[in-house]
Amino acid sequence: MTETYMVEPDLEFIKEVGLLGAEDLKKCYQCATCSVACPISPDHKPFPRKEMIAASWGMKDQVVKNADIWLCHNCGDCTTRCPREAKPGDVLAALRTYAIQEYAVPKKLGKMVNDPKKLPMLLAVPVVLFLVVGIFLKIFGIHWLNFSPSGEEIVHAKFFSTWLVDLIFIPTFFFAIGVFVLGLKRFVGDIHEEALKSGKTDKKKIDPKGFIEALVRVIPEILKHKKFSQCGENADRATSHMMVLYGFIGLFIVTNIFFITLYVFGIHGPYSQLNPVKWLANIAGVALVIGAALMIKDRLTATEQTSTYKDWFLVVLALLLGVTGMLTEMTRLGGAAGLSYTIYFIHLVFVWALFAYVPYSKLAHLVYRTVAMAYAEYTERS
Amino acid sequence: MTVDKQAPASGSILVVGGGMAGLTTAIEAAEVGYEVFLVEKNPYLGGRVAQLNQYFPKLCPPTCGLEINFRRIKDNQNIKIFTMAEVENVSGSSGDYDVAVKLNPRYVNVNCTCCGECGEAVQTEIPSEFDFGMKRVKAAYLPFEMAFPARYVISPRIIGTEDAKRAKEACKYGAVDLDMEPKTINLNVGSVVWATGWEPYDASRIDNLGYGRYQNIITNMQMERLAAPNGPTKGKILCPADDKAPESVAFVQCAGSRDANHLPYCSYICCMASLKQATYVRAQYPEAKIYIFYIDIRTPGNRYEKFYQEIKADENIIFIKGKVAEVSENPDTRKITVTAENAVTGEKVHQAADLVVLATGMQPTAANFKLPADLKYNGDGFILNNFSKGGMFGAGCSAKPADVMTSNQQATGMALKAIQSVVNR
Repeated sequence: MTETYMVEPDLEFIKEVGLLGAEDLKKCYQCATCSVACPISPDHKPFPRKEMIAASWGMKDQVVKNADIWLCHNCGDCTTRCPREAKPGDVLAALRTYAIQEYAVPKKLGKMVNDPKKLPMLLAVPVVLFLVVGIFLKIFGIHWLNFSPSGEEIVHAKFFSTWLVDLIFIPTFFFAIGVFVLGLKRFVGDIHEEALKSGKTDKKKIDPKGFIEALVRVIPEILKHKKFSQCGENADRATSHMMVLYGFIGLFIVTNIFFITLYVFGIHGPYSQLNPVKWLANIAGVALVIGAALMIKDRLTATEQTSTYKDWFLVVLALLLGVTGMLTEMTRLGGAAGLSYTIYFIHLVFVWALFAYVPYSKLAHLVYRTVAMAYAEYTERS
Repeated sequence: MTVDKQAPASGSILVVGGGMAGLTTAIEAAEVGYEVFLVEKNPYLGGRVAQLNQYFPKLCPPTCGLEINFRRIKDNQNIKIFTMAEVENVSGSSGDYDVAVKLNPRYVNVNCTCCGECGEAVQTEIPSEFDFGMKRVKAAYLPFEMAFPARYVISPRIIGTEDAKRAKEACKYGAVDLDMEPKTINLNVGSVVWATGWEPYDASRIDNLGYGRYQNIITNMQMERLAAPNGPTKGKILCPADDKAPESVAFVQCAGSRDANHLPYCSYICCMASLKQATYVRAQYPEAKIYIFYIDIRTPGNRYEKFYQEIKADENIIFIKGKVAEVSENPDTRKITVTAENAVTGEKVHQAADLVVLATGMQPTAANFKLPADLKYNGDGFILNNFSKGGMFGAGCSAKPADVMTSNQQATGMALKAIQSVVNR
């Protein structure tokens, strides 16, 4: 029997996705070359052909709630093969940006993070925040922000106290975690609902134990970039991505060690260059800088892949983060006190921006893609 | 003023290309009394049509249509034919063109009776271009049984060798003339019609479809030769890798057509060609399964649509909506597996087939070979006709991808345009 189905296109959605990098979406004529060209697309309900038609018909729920858009690693094999130059790889990237905005509350902040005009304001927030909190504390005689740090040795904590750093950064960190938790709650429910509806799974309910086990199986694969390196067209991108990822992980570990030694053992920085923790910090910092620089170079030379603001925001932020971090250390070792303190302040601005805007930026893929891949593993979708 | 009514410098028409469109333009113009020169680079007339097994949708052999046209040429004193000839240069303007035509030596003169003794005598074999290299022929050969002019050709590859002498000695009629030299003649004509036709798109450029890598992947034009009674297998459709009768055949539509990486346009004929070729397989192997992978089936018009519906009703012919984007070969069985996503079911299909036919499209000859005249082309190499300027025109597939019928209609129109240029209206 013929089923009557009325498509109710969300025109606003089509327009917005177009602005996020899917401007060639409507060129697609559904030949399905992309689904075959994709080295990681499964046999059952493969992507991205179905996402292309759903997006161009404005069927927002079918794509935003679809875990498959997160399985894509944007290697560009589909875009290279596409006979219509509809750039499916870029369309999926745009859909992911849209989905990030959908799941991160408040939505308004998500829109701002993806709007280049709002960038100065977003960067002004940490500057103002640091100054206001620092000066406010001064009223009560707490000089955690000291504009004339004394002493022979350059110690950044004398200028911007670790107490002040933690006072601001710990809540910011948990704010980001909170936004992710709220987003994930809806995200997991939505991708499961969509998978059931489109027949990608027959598991009625998600069993938390099985899901966690799947997550544990997936994480080593992510760390090894197993899926990423199956890409044909841009296989070398896995290297720069790995450098940036490991750079961040290394710096995260260093920060935690620093935090524990400070609060448990009362030992202050800066550490000696002979300290293994310092080695890790330096290696991670250099990996971040080189990885981010390579990513920028790849994007500048890529002919087939479109780079939009969301991409530049993240890679440039990662590069600046690494560069200011390394420069802070180098100017400290070089004895340029004023310069070192200034760069440190800028560095903190970028770190704060990264933390606070993670759930709204492209970097949120860290969470959503991991969860989507775990869900695919859990539902045996491969 | 009498300038407008001035008698044209030349009342003749030059038609470049002796395929279906060129034949039509030449004959139509000649039959209303105009002198026509027909220049063809091959040693025979008939072009791509001569290589076909059957026409769609009537499934009749093209020899019958060609025969009528050859008859009309023979009966008409107004047509002068130059085969193995190429236009080297065109200068002048509408009503008065000077054309240099290079005549390549055939090494066989009009005395030839097609007895075939020269072919028996020579030893060298060359790949037959007419059969897309699927057959080797002697270096003294008749291009095909119905070749017009009906005269043997001696390949320049054996000129100066013992083989050439053997051919000359074998000929009882003194038809082999090894002293023939290339020469250039000059023609003065009032109009030039370019019916330079098309080339099958080079399938080896579509690197994900395995042509040239796996023997059991052929093009649709090769399929025509395989199915043709005068082809390399005498009309038996066999897998090239092992000469086995195929139990399954997959057709890959839009192989290079409608593809921004290859030919961005629809080649118009490939859907009908594959449907037609499915009937070849069905007729020879009633048990064979046929899989047609397509983006959209394009069978314009009532007759073609009806043909499609008839093929679709055949339960051994399975249509899968999805473009093949990957192929692989089983090295033991030489079977090919084609992969596509069935866009109707949303499942990937990995279909094994004994023989895979790539429905390659048509590329205008001018896309790869610049014509020596002041012509305008579109981005794909098709001639853009400028009727207000007049003088020179593109006919048939040099102007757009078309089936034989459309080509004929358009070529008839170009005969009229050429006549208008000649009489200066």
